[in-house]
Amino acid sequence: MRPFEFYSAQSASQAVVQHTKNKETHYLGGGTNLLDLMKEDVKRPEHLIEVADLPYKDIKSTSEGGLALGAMMSNTHTANNTEVKNKYPLLSMAILAAATEQIRNMATNGGNLLQRTRCPYYFETSMPCNKREPGTGCGALDGENSKHAIFGWSESCVATHPSDMSVALAALNATVVVQSENGESRRIPFTEFHRLPEDRPEKDTTLSDSELITSIELPKSEFPTHYYYLKVRERSSYAFALVSAAVGLQLDGKTIRKAGLALGKVAHKPWKLEKVEQFLIGKEATKEVFEQAAELALQDAKPLKHNAYKIELAKKTLVRALLQATSRS
Amino acid sequence: MKDQTKSKTGASVNRLEGALKVMGKAKYSSEFAIDNLAFAQGIQSTISAGKITSIDTSLAEKQEGVIKIITHENALKLKGYGGRFEEPDTKSISPSLQTPDVHYYGEYIGVVVAETFEQARYAANLVKVTYAKSEPKFIFDEHLDELYMPKEINDKAKTNTQWGDVEKGLKDAYKTIDVTYNTPVEHHHPMELHNIIATWEGDKVIAYASTQIVAHAVKTIADTFEIPEDNVRVITPYVGGGFGSKLQLREHGTLGIMASKMIGRPVQLTVTRHEMFTAVGFRQHNRQHMRLGADKEGNLTALSHETSAATSTYEEFQEPCGAISQTLYNTPNSLVTHKLMKLNLPSPRWMRAPGEAPGSFALESAMDELAYKLQMDPAEFRIKNDTQHDLSVDKPFSSRQFVECIRIGAEKFDWKNKWKPTPGHTKKENWLVGYGMSGSSRQSPYMESSALIKLKLDNDKVQVTVQTDATDIGTGSYTIIGQTISEYLDIPLEQISVELGDSKFPKTPGSGGSWGAASYTNGVKVACDNAISTLKTLASTSEDLSVIELMKKADLTEFEAKGTAGPTEEFENYSVYSFGANFCEVWVDEYSGMVRLEHFVNVGSAGKILNPKTAYGQIIGGITWGVGQALTEHSQVEPNHGNFITRSFADYHVPVNLDLGKIDVIFLPEDDYIANPMGVKGIGELGITSIAAAIANAVFNATGKRVRDLPITPEKIMKTKIEVA
Repeated sequence: MRPFEFYSAQSASQAVVQHTKNKETHYLGGGTNLLDLMKEDVKRPEHLIEVADLPYKDIKSTSEGGLALGAMMSNTHTANNTEVKNKYPLLSMAILAAATEQIRNMATNGGNLLQRTRCPYYFETSMPCNKREPGTGCGALDGENSKHAIFGWSESCVATHPSDMSVALAALNATVVVQSENGESRRIPFTEFHRLPEDRPEKDTTLSDSELITSIELPKSEFPTHYYYLKVRERSSYAFALVSAAVGLQLDGKTIRKAGLALGKVAHKPWKLEKVEQFLIGKEATKEVFEQAAELALQDAKPLKHNAYKIELAKKTLVRALLQATSRS
Repeated sequence: MKDQTKSKTGASVNRLEGALKVMGKAKYSSEFAIDNLAFAQGIQSTISAGKITSIDTSLAEKQEGVIKIITHENALKLKGYGGRFEEPDTKSISPSLQTPDVHYYGEYIGVVVAETFEQARYAANLVKVTYAKSEPKFIFDEHLDELYMPKEINDKAKTNTQWGDVEKGLKDAYKTIDVTYNTPVEHHHPMELHNIIATWEGDKVIAYASTQIVAHAVKTIADTFEIPEDNVRVITPYVGGGFGSKLQLREHGTLGIMASKMIGRPVQLTVTRHEMFTAVGFRQHNRQHMRLGADKEGNLTALSHETSAATSTYEEFQEPCGAISQTLYNTPNSLVTHKLMKLNLPSPRWMRAPGEAPGSFALESAMDELAYKLQMDPAEFRIKNDTQHDLSVDKPFSSRQFVECIRIGAEKFDWKNKWKPTPGHTKKENWLVGYGMSGSSRQSPYMESSALIKLKLDNDKVQVTVQTDATDIGTGSYTIIGQTISEYLDIPLEQISVELGDSKFPKTPGSGGSWGAASYTNGVKVACDNAISTLKTLASTSEDLSVIELMKKADLTEFEAKGTAGPTEEFENYSVYSFGANFCEVWVDEYSGMVRLEHFVNVGSAGKILNPKTAYGQIIGGITWGVGQALTEHSQVEPNHGNFITRSFADYHVPVNLDLGKIDVIFLPEDDYIANPMGVKGIGELGITSIAAAIANAVFNATGKRVRDLPITPEKIMKTKIEVA
């Protein structure tokens, strides 16, 4: 590990000011991703600002009747919080599908959103990767890409975003609240928080260099009953998804009144299915309708050399998650 | 006299060292606090083939704490390197940093020694290497025309063996199958990282090394550094798993010992988890072509098992995949061949059940396929083809309860009511339920092994210390050796102290290849027998008195006895094997293709079970390995660069608890004193053998899909077509 300077910030504004002073500066939350990357020499920060102890470790009600999740709260506390479990069980389910208990104990909500891709080319410093080292090329594009993106990739990057929590947040129409350099706070709709790689894959989000996430806001509870997070993976726990689906439904008898849907591990960002959400409104919650929805969801998918199977897998995953959500009561 | 029933062999005694391990007090080789210790970090190549043209260490050398950087330019010259491939002695020598040649991606090309591990690791990142690349080969399918037959495989085993006429046997068959199976590169990944701490005094060296075979490590070090074996001491009281990767002390050992010699200080080199993908061996990719034929009654008419695999460019290694096809069943016509190609990958090595683990997947899947074609119950098909004679060497088996294993397992599992010949017969909600079985066997070697026991009379009690260079790799060696003493000296375990893993103790063959338990305990038994008979002489009595009475009568307060056991001529006249049968139920999600193991029944017949508790643990561990082989484990080679891109536990998936389901382990009683005087057979490899086949067969029974390339991932379930029966 390379030597670095370490600061412990006392407030969000102090952290942001400190961050603007030097290049190669990183915020440190739970460290479950950043410390690994530093040990592997992938990330080489010269300055670390610890933000894990800043006072954003609780859950508050919002004036709109939703919840604001503290950015420094642990994934474990968030998933097991009674209000979250009652009003946003989809979020609990997604968080608990991720990593291990020990990692979730350390991981913060803000950090979860900012975790880097698991693309092996990003991790191996001797291989090309535009995300790690802009201009070196994308090793996965012509290399091994069986677990890579089927939506929104570019010639410069075919990586996927690994977070489970973020897939549920996309389905739930969350908003990310950040502290900006100018001292103001800024609100970013979840779908606009992560970005597609285009020609700047080194940038995962629309945050400016020194902005710090302080909370994640959830709108008034919409899917407390009919929800499901289905994570398809190569072992039953402690594995990143091949494909995942976060599904929330509002049902009136068999009729769908509202849907919140997103796919995970299919793109550089959680893949919100807005068109499919619209399609489902007013339809009957049946397998046939869900299969039509899945066709619609995947119609623009574009496979790479090794990952065409993910298109079929994503369809089946979405259908299965919708059926599971429907049958819950 | 106190009854030692509860501590004798055969009793489920808790591990003697269990509390030490739980408290973190069991000292592994990396935990010896040596004064003035420096830390070494390897530098790895980032090309697959070529030559180093320059190494710039100037920036790295300037860093705080850096003591020395060793590369091929300044390394100690070691004997034995001269085109490693042809060198016959290389199996005991681990040369490193002797030339600028690069054979594979991730090869150690240097080492940084610093005051701390962190400093060494940081400086290693600052070393700049330039290469002259040559054209590497690492894609198996692109070099099929380069396959050749090695002179021997697996350390002196035959490459090709046959009897009868396989082509005729296939022609005369009522039903045949002709299929190919692939098993991928898999890595051992014991929990404890490979490690060495080396400290020199003149031309003598002490090495705290994580190793399965102490005497082998001694020989490797002595040969490599050209010093007498007496000048080498290897200490390894606890080993956190080895699975074959620690049978030999490899390049990291050489680097640590070399670094220590060059800087004149003790040096520790711990191989990182990432480096363990390239530095300590793996199971090679095997392509197995199976052709089987049977007559209308289900008697095999031919069994052909042809394996192609890859070795490295610098060392020849091939595991004997076909061996099991010539011992498990009766066939009038048999053909087994092994072929190799040389690729720019690290050398493959022995890994738990070398040969049998991939070989049994091919054989027991093929037997299943043929049973379906014959419309026979796969269990009955296997029973029908049992043999009590080992056709491969024309010797009788010392004992063989293969059929009993199948019958008892089938009963316990309720096989006859559960299994149906039509795939996809049972569905529970979104789950396709299937049943599969397999038979297994593994040779049970027995080797020369010695022990020293020291008796001391203290407060009217006899305290016993036993010393051997045996290793406990997590299997329970401490405990079974203690139990052996307790039985043969009739002394409670609390008065017995077991000391292992030190080359100053009497020699054993170490742990590996399922030979450890049988070999050690018989050596210890002979030491006990010798102690009693010598004490009787000294006490001038022929009565069967207790040890304490004998010592008193002989007027002794301290006494030592040594013993050595080993195979006799009778042993050589038989084939000595353990046998087993596996039955399992899997649930396959029809949407995602995820496979859930619901229930597994394993029946083994392996002589006397010294300690059921540790033995069950070992079998459950073996089954877990088999589940990994079947469903999750796969080391992927990057197609353009030739490195392993599965590079941590996050992407090399070993099974987790949730993957396992209910596991029942049953051992059949078996008296086999041809195997050895204590009647002990090995179980370390038996546990993994044929597990993957049972699971794959159950997946077929559930889905109608025959996934012949392991592991069976959701992707492969999705891509595989349903077979028409």
